[in-house]
Amino acid sequence: MTDALFLALSTLAIWSGWRVFRVDSMVRASFQLMVSFIAVGLIAVLLAAPYIGIATIFMMAVEMMVMALFMVMFMMNPAGLNPMVMVHQHRFSIAAGIIAFAGLTAAVLLSDLPVQRVPEGVDVVRNLGHELLGPSMLIFETAGVTLLATMIGAVVLSAHSGRYGASDTGSLPPGLTPGGEPAGRKPENGGHHHHGGH
Amino acid sequence: MIAATLILLLALPPLVWVAAMFDRIGAGRGTVVMGPLQNGAALVLRPNTETEAPDRLNRLLAPGWYLALALVGLSVVPLAEDVVASEISTGLVLWGACEALTVVVVFLHGWSPNAPLPLIGAYRYVAIALPAMLLSMFVLIGAALPAQSLSVVEVVEAQREIWNVIRQPLGLPLFMALGLAITLRGPFDYADGAELAGGTSAEESGPALALWHFARAAMLVAFSAMAATAFLGGYLGPVLPGPAWLLLKTLAVMAATVAAGRFFVRMPPARMLTFLWVVLLPLSFASLALVGVEVLP
Amino acid sequence: MTLVSVLIVAAALIGIGLYGALSQQSFVMLMMGLELMLNGAILAMMGFWSFSLGGAPEGQLLAIIVMAVMAVEMAVGFALVVAVYRKRQADMTESLTTMKH
Repeated sequence: MTDALFLALSTLAIWSGWRVFRVDSMVRASFQLMVSFIAVGLIAVLLAAPYIGIATIFMMAVEMMVMALFMVMFMMNPAGLNPMVMVHQHRFSIAAGIIAFAGLTAAVLLSDLPVQRVPEGVDVVRNLGHELLGPSMLIFETAGVTLLATMIGAVVLSAHSGRYGASDTGSLPPGLTPGGEPAGRKPENGGHHHHGGH
Repeated sequence: MIAATLILLLALPPLVWVAAMFDRIGAGRGTVVMGPLQNGAALVLRPNTETEAPDRLNRLLAPGWYLALALVGLSVVPLAEDVVASEISTGLVLWGACEALTVVVVFLHGWSPNAPLPLIGAYRYVAIALPAMLLSMFVLIGAALPAQSLSVVEVVEAQREIWNVIRQPLGLPLFMALGLAITLRGPFDYADGAELAGGTSAEESGPALALWHFARAAMLVAFSAMAATAFLGGYLGPVLPGPAWLLLKTLAVMAATVAAGRFFVRMPPARMLTFLWVVLLPLSFASLALVGVEVLP
Repeated sequence: MTLVSVLIVAAALIGIGLYGALSQQSFVMLMMGLELMLNGAILAMMGFWSFSLGGAPEGQLLAIIVMAVMAVEMAVGFALVVAVYRKRQADMTESLTTMKH
């Protein structure tokens, strides 16, 4: 039973992971990725990790939803009505992917892996909680602080208001002399590059 | 476990009917008792509409996913002592995953017909529903704290002395904001609003629309049962047997949710977003902090 | 379901993710490749935790940290996409060449 479920879920995970880069719509791609994550989450539940597995599903549903939103906002062809190929260095990438898979598989098959199953009847969720707020609290808190820093950084990077005014109205620094040309680097489409050759 | 699943499957259609009746009381949408059945039958007999270049698979499946999520969410609710359909030790997290996937399914329902009004509805809805879902998670962590467990069974057992709604009064109202959001009603109905001619369902008719409405009502049932369990003590209560108490509390929460959906106005999406992030989310933090102080030994 | 089979599935996910991250031109698709690699990493981690760590909670902790890393990657990635798009209306990796000169 577990084996059949594992086989089905892992096939689903790999197949939908592959479809991410094959479907012609970005929204479809992000939801294919979500399906892949859900399959991995359910495998984790099979592996006796009910919290991590379901938390993965929860997190990834939200994350892929946000991703789909960004897809529709920024990307060409969000609904997939026109065929689209947006790849570069294709052969090299295929080779790299295959080599990574083959190398990792070889490493798995050739190495001697230790065997120590999760003992029956262990409350893994409670153990995780005690670990998070006990011996590993510092690590866990570091993750929290990192997330906070990320939030601040993301807001700074994406904020509409720049240092010298709104970004869509130019956001130019003031000139070095009163009324002079704006200081700093020139935008590329606005004249010459500042390095030699032209 | 199998018995509990069967009970849930049998109890869901009548409860959905009751939910649809609540929706019709005083709304001038046909007779209260037979109206839902008549409308449903009329919809089932009507043909589905076609749109240009839709995503057929997702369009077909979205109402079914919605219903399935309602059922999975409902399955973590214990019906009586030791009677629960899915005996998982992380029931609250599973419920959270159902909430998150509901947002995805509503988006798919609006995106797949490839038409403007459904897409606008879906887009607005995602922006509003994600923070609403976020705050519900903090509220549910608050419900889990006194139980010291993520299992819904333990959450009920921890309310033997005193219900969570008294210990953490902010919890239930905040959780109801989520209920309004995932059942697409009232102040949070950015998906299927009348001003978008039905929003994500603007292009739907026939059996697909009937199933969507059914799933929406089923989600209301699931949410009400969950709220009754997490904050009103679930099956606990004197004299009457456990399932009867759960049913009564579920109906009470359902009526309150429908009434809240009628009573509160819907703000423009931008203002609602600010309200959610600036008022409701900090309130849920405050609620969680208060619960934390309370359960300190 | 053995440790070897779980790890091979994880290796396949990492391989596909690497292919995606290297081959896609659009920023967001590139991020999807990275996410898929992290997906494989989480699977491998849970496999090791379940089969050869005897249920030590540190294994689950590592998975949680990886999830936090994913969230960071997404947030910073999207912030950069927004910043670049504001500046040059571009969403393709090819259009960013200033670092080459």
